[in-house]
Amino acid sequence: MEDKTTEGGSNSPSDSDLTRMIRAEVDTWTPRRGADWTDVLIRIAGTGPSPWLVYTTASAALVVILIAAYLVGTAFQLGALAPPAQVHLH
Amino acid sequence: MTESKGLETGQLDPATQFKQLYDQEYLSVFRSIRAVVMDSAAAEDLTQETFVRAYRARHRYTPTAPPGAWLRRIGINLAISHLRRQKLARFLPARLYIAPDRRDYDRAEARNIVGKAMAALSPKLRAAVFLHYYEDMTREEIAAVLGVPAGTVASRIAKAVAIMRKTMASDQELDTTRSSSEGALRGR
Repeated sequence: MEDKTTEGGSNSPSDSDLTRMIRAEVDTWTPRRGADWTDVLIRIAGTGPSPWLVYTTASAALVVILIAAYLVGTAFQLGALAPPAQVHLH
Repeated sequence: MTESKGLETGQLDPATQFKQLYDQEYLSVFRSIRAVVMDSAAAEDLTQETFVRAYRARHRYTPTAPPGAWLRRIGINLAISHLRRQKLARFLPARLYIAPDRRDYDRAEARNIVGKAMAALSPKLRAAVFLHYYEDMTREEIAAVLGVPAGTVASRIAKAVAIMRKTMASDQELDTTRSSSEGALRGR
């Protein structure tokens, strides 16, 4: 590929030079493997739910677990959720 | 820019339509992504991922713009996210982060003046340059693909051209100095 400038100053390429040079450079970019439709189909078939759905479901499940644990703790008066013990100091 | 009708024709089943679109747009989408990531192997993988995402989101596609522009938008956004993830991964402990072996690609892909000048740009500037100079898109079309105002596109192109001209000029000066000093050594 010829990378010499034709106009636009001694070392500064003109807009048309730049277009020509960029096109020549980009035309050399070719994929090594090339198009592979089977790989696309495998990827489509193999993908699970989207990450945002997983995170939202997991967060909602965690909130439900925490609320349930609090309710169970208060109902059965477990651990720190039990009412304070009556201590008589004499 | 090629006007693809893949998603607009109603006679074919969605998979066949999409396969046609894939065959038509594969190289163009690959080159858009390659312009952003400057790495052929990563660009190939991201191109496949682009079509997977586009297939999943095909019901959301509205034919106001050609499907090629829509695919390029998905691809370029994916490429920018990929680079962002790579940048973040560098902060991981050394054992968790395995740097990609790019030595072969770097040697092969930045071999000429334009390649080096493009490599000197940020990914967003490269995307604007590629769409303007290679795809021959107008500022408004580029703005639609990149999801930024047309004014931003204009300033990105101007900035990119200034950087590229500077890089190319300094590269040519270096070559001239090198060849003249080699000539002087040969003359002794």
